[in-house]
Amino acid sequence: MADRGPAAVAPVRSSGVAIGATVADLEISNAWLVDPFSEREGPGELVVSNGVLEAVNWLDGDEAAGIHDRGVIVAPGFIDLHAHLREPGNEDAETVASGLAAAAHGGFTTVCAMPNTSPPADEPGVLSRLRAAAAASGSPVALLPYGTVSVGRAGEALAPIGELADAGAVGFSDDGSPVRSGSILRNALMYAGMAGLAIVDHPEDLEQTVGAEATEGLVATVLGLRGWPRSAEAAAVARDLAILADVIADSPGARLHLTHLSTAAALDLVRAAKGRGLPVTCDVTPHHLALTDEWLAGARRWAWEAIDESGRARDPWADGVLIGAPYDPSTRVNPPLRSAYDAAACLAALVDGTADAVATDHAPHTVVDKAVEFGVAATGISGIETALGLLLAAVDAGRLSLGRAIGALTAGPASILGPRLGRPAGLTEGAPADLVVFDRADGWLVSAAGLASRGKNSPLIGHALSGRVLLTLAGGKLAYEDPGLAD
Amino acid sequence: MSLGITMDPAEADVPPVVDRPPEAGAWPHRHLLDVDALSWSDIQLVLRTTDAMREVLARPIAKVPALRGTNVTILFYEASTRTRVSFEVAARNLSADVVNVAVAASSVTKGESLVDTVKTVEALGARILVMRHASSGAPYLAARHFSGHVLNGGDGWHAHPTQALLDLYTMRAKLAGAIAGAAGADQDGRFLSGRKVVILGDVLHSRVARSNIWTLTAAGADLWLCGPATLLRGFEAWARAGAGGAANGRFTVTSDPAAALRDADVVMALRIQQERMASGLLPSLREYAARFGLTADRLRLASPDAFVLHPGPMNEGVEIAPDVAAGPRSVITDQVTNGVAVRMALLYLLAGSTASDTVGG
Repeated sequence: MADRGPAAVAPVRSSGVAIGATVADLEISNAWLVDPFSEREGPGELVVSNGVLEAVNWLDGDEAAGIHDRGVIVAPGFIDLHAHLREPGNEDAETVASGLAAAAHGGFTTVCAMPNTSPPADEPGVLSRLRAAAAASGSPVALLPYGTVSVGRAGEALAPIGELADAGAVGFSDDGSPVRSGSILRNALMYAGMAGLAIVDHPEDLEQTVGAEATEGLVATVLGLRGWPRSAEAAAVARDLAILADVIADSPGARLHLTHLSTAAALDLVRAAKGRGLPVTCDVTPHHLALTDEWLAGARRWAWEAIDESGRARDPWADGVLIGAPYDPSTRVNPPLRSAYDAAACLAALVDGTADAVATDHAPHTVVDKAVEFGVAATGISGIETALGLLLAAVDAGRLSLGRAIGALTAGPASILGPRLGRPAGLTEGAPADLVVFDRADGWLVSAAGLASRGKNSPLIGHALSGRVLLTLAGGKLAYEDPGLAD
Repeated sequence: MSLGITMDPAEADVPPVVDRPPEAGAWPHRHLLDVDALSWSDIQLVLRTTDAMREVLARPIAKVPALRGTNVTILFYEASTRTRVSFEVAARNLSADVVNVAVAASSVTKGESLVDTVKTVEALGARILVMRHASSGAPYLAARHFSGHVLNGGDGWHAHPTQALLDLYTMRAKLAGAIAGAAGADQDGRFLSGRKVVILGDVLHSRVARSNIWTLTAAGADLWLCGPATLLRGFEAWARAGAGGAANGRFTVTSDPAAALRDADVVMALRIQQERMASGLLPSLREYAARFGLTADRLRLASPDAFVLHPGPMNEGVEIAPDVAAGPRSVITDQVTNGVAVRMALLYLLAGSTASDTVGG
């Protein structure tokens, strides 16, 4: 185990605590605390007693000496606005239990599950089933399900949005597809607005992306992959924003959340809409800001290493950086990995607040659905366990502050969920301990066996990431403990 | 393995010597999936080996025992007669055991995966897998699951290595006289140095164009890609990439056929497919033929010695006029003959390869 410096984390499970059990007694001393809810970070220590965060002591002066932000970090538990848990219907790719275990390994204590299951979550019974599966899993990670916008996600008739809201839906989405009809989107925004709940849209103009395989540009051209125009995203975002602007006067509760934005043009539209005061929020994914389309050709460098001084993507062939196999289906995702230019725009949007949150778009798939020709492989990356590592790569490279990275995983998504989060947030004394402890001085090698998710479809397999998660506590209970911690 | 012919790769003009084993490890690649992985000296070795195979083809009985006992499986997921037959003739000329597998699209939709099929043909004895597939990158997937050698016979829009090498061989043969004269190859033998080569037509959907970009620029050509803007999408980015902001990219992209053809030394026309109209990329074949078709009039813009290639199959009267296709400048039938020789060369080189390189890298 790596040297953790002055920090001390008492092992939890070895003292008899099982996953899902209340953490009776835990002390973490000499750590670096990051609490985006109180906008505070610095040296500190905390005490958990009977699942409650009993004391949070911020240290200064001599007590703080030698404690820095490159060692053990304690942060509020992460919140993922966008994950696919595949249950019901595709339990060979993921189950609620395996998905929540993966979440805990990634430092997440709240997971919002997308409703594109089979059957989709377009009626309250599916939500009940999900809640039962979460309870049966024994995981303390909170599962907050979305309902669909339209019946069967077909984009034709409104799903029972009111009943789904009563059954605990955290918002509504036809994710996997955009809300196809503009008139359905208009009505859904107004109807869900009565409950103050957001419509979460996957912005994609399907007319422009028929048969598309890779973002249009150098890599797609050289690899002979069918181009996925960047404008397909901005066109859909423009439609959504126009509809939102049109309904907001009559439906002040209407709220739009745009998920997994991946292009500079789409983010510019959101930036301008926010400037006009529209109630729109958005997220970006870790893979769209840290990885690029070069990875399809076999490059394995970070997005910020793949850009030249003028902001243009570099040429991986000329740079001689193609070290992996091309056409790896683990790099096939929707929206596709973009150029370094767009990845830089995602990062910039996160830094300037245009992007409110980072969401993983965790999309586990079976080997059967991925070990096929690139163009027919299922789209998606199993990403909930590597999200922190990708953000820390940006932090390590000086592209993102640690506080902003953690904020995008905690206070950002919490503000979008509002009261639907259903718990106190932040490192708050007296509240159930909901936190993650990770070590920036220690890393881990991503491997299929090391992922708790059933989805091993990660382009990062074989890649070293920094920031080993040591402990995750959700609602005062143990969600994850690094096996090395008890040594 | 009993190898009936061999040649010294260092000596271009030495005829093949029968019944002597080849230089071990002459070919440094386990598979041939794309030409982007080939160095100029690799390409030169292919061309020299092809010379030897042309010599074999000129014999009364064009057959040598080089691949006797070697199972060459030809696995085509796309309808093709010309390329499949060319590979088959090439393999038989080398005395290989040839297995032909034509996979109907229906087996794919029935859920029979490529990986499963590859494992099956391997279990049936395949040592060299010649593969054609409609999906770009499919041979890379096959190569990850195959213990022998994969030879890409064309994948999607991506690559058609044997076509690009036979095109290059055809150009070299045609230019041989000129090279021996005053102008021609530079000191590395880049015999297209100073030559203007034009690829005219549907570049976007063309694996032939993509593979030719690598080989023709490696040979030093002043390469021009010409076609309607809708069929050139993305290639301007490729032309500029890695050029370091220099005014001249690695090739020139234009939608002006007159600019492309002016003083050209080599013109290659590409097939235009009917589907392009359905997807809105072109208004009509009539309009294409009028604006971009390779007619005798247009060809007059090129150098008087210019010659014409086409990878086939041709739509005569659309991308190429019948009198040009059959005219004195056409080397299209040479391409067919050279295709067999190049495929013999590549089967031979791959069979002798001891390289263990994995896919990529």
